[in-house]
Amino acid sequence: MSAAATHTVTPLTRPGGSPFHRIGWHCRHNPKRELWLAWWTTVVFYQLFFVVFFVITRTQPPPNPGWDTPRVVQWFHNHHNGLLIGFAIMFVITGMTAASNALIAYSMRRMSVSPAFGYSYLVLYSLSAVPGMLLLCLVLTVGALRPDRDPELIQWLYDFAFLSFSGTMGVFLIGSLVWMAAILIDKHGVLPKWFGYLNLCNALTEVVVAPAWIFHRGVFAWNGLICWWINMVVFGIYTGAFIVLLRQMIQREDFGTGPLPDLATTKELDRSGDAAVAR
Amino acid sequence: MSDIGINDAHGAESGRPALRRIDGELILWWTLPAVAIIWASAFVLFPGFTPPMSPTMSAEQVASFYRDPHNLSRIRASMILFNWFCVGLIPVLILIVMQIRRMAHRTPIFSYCMLGCVAGGPTLFLTANICWLLAGFRPERSPELTQMFNDLAWITFTSQVPFLIAQSVILALAIYVDDQPRPVFPRWVAHFNLLVAAALVPAAFVALSLSGPLAWDGALSFWLKNIAIAVWIVVMGAVLGQAIRRERADYRQRVEQDVPV
Repeated sequence: MSAAATHTVTPLTRPGGSPFHRIGWHCRHNPKRELWLAWWTTVVFYQLFFVVFFVITRTQPPPNPGWDTPRVVQWFHNHHNGLLIGFAIMFVITGMTAASNALIAYSMRRMSVSPAFGYSYLVLYSLSAVPGMLLLCLVLTVGALRPDRDPELIQWLYDFAFLSFSGTMGVFLIGSLVWMAAILIDKHGVLPKWFGYLNLCNALTEVVVAPAWIFHRGVFAWNGLICWWINMVVFGIYTGAFIVLLRQMIQREDFGTGPLPDLATTKELDRSGDAAVAR
Repeated sequence: MSDIGINDAHGAESGRPALRRIDGELILWWTLPAVAIIWASAFVLFPGFTPPMSPTMSAEQVASFYRDPHNLSRIRASMILFNWFCVGLIPVLILIVMQIRRMAHRTPIFSYCMLGCVAGGPTLFLTANICWLLAGFRPERSPELTQMFNDLAWITFTSQVPFLIAQSVILALAIYVDDQPRPVFPRWVAHFNLLVAAALVPAAFVALSLSGPLAWDGALSFWLKNIAIAVWIVVMGAVLGQAIRRERADYRQRVEQDVPV
């Protein structure tokens, strides 16, 4: 914060040299280093999330809710090590979501709207990791812990895990709507209006996932076309879009209190060595 | 948490405390009636609340409650509604945080305490909600398992009042120390919040008894607690609406004064 708060008048000259040298310079002198730290943490978290859920534990795409008890026990048996190791990794890294939530909340603080929006989002998403992801990790870890447990109990854990993961809807629903409302009201042009509407799409995926609590097979089951595949595609596009847009927001950030300058202006200022960025 | 910094910096330039950004707060406030209506309908829709299920029901009785197809669709519909909207009150609670921020306090401690409590209530309710939905997901399972999830749901739903109590007590203390000629909230709101906090206390002891007023279907643990929460939402909604409108009126007045300068 000190780098950003001091009113440096001398233009910042960026060093040449080796990539390590340049990274080191940015860590020490870049006035936006906190924002970039949060952004890179977000990117790295989503990469690791993908690796753990799709590759190591194979819990995404989710297994079938229609399986009978022996098949479920078999699934735990086949994924024993993956589940235990993969979720241990999640227990180490889930705190990284705090940086992602912080950056998104910051985007709302930069808008012309009340701080109530940023705070609401921060609170909603801070709580969302527990029912929306960690419960699945904990419950499946317990399921894999004792393969000789009563099979009927193992199937309860299986339902518990996947339903809590897909079926925690409200936090993401309301969170997306809060971000959407902030973007649409904002007069500082922090994020484009179309992304506001994309938030609505993300919110709607949380509505259509509700039948997963009812159906054991078909498109509405927790591994079905509607409740999983369409949701995952929308979530993927949404996440990709906000990662790119937040990057542009950081590039455009002038640490002022008025409208955010557009990308072309910022780059020009950068090139001419203007100190606006360093303020 | 940088609102203080930005506003102070801005204020230093103009020589008077800067105005806080208030855009969109009325929109957030108007979500309250919508959420309240959804909560009330989901509450009435859940067959386990009208009347509340008895904790003395046997495992077989609990299992047949969930197996009854008429009950089952209403259990699912009501709990899915709650799952979507149980966090719907968070933006409104954040508006209370914003109002505490305006009070004549030396530090933001009270607003930060409130901020810390806001997520607690919905998280714990969501845990109960997931247990009810799980009990309804495969009702054909062994009755003991269904009863266990039903117990988990009811005990979590009833006993988990800690953050609700803290919220009311923090708000009451914040109002008591808000020493200014025109306090943000009137003094009676503080007394009212202490009363609500006291009404929520018995519910924490729900597990001590399976029948009588303390049981989860009893006069204290069910009726007093839930009525207190409902009254709190209605009263705080009204008081908050007044405070926000007054702040906006002051805001407009100050902006108009600033224009000629």
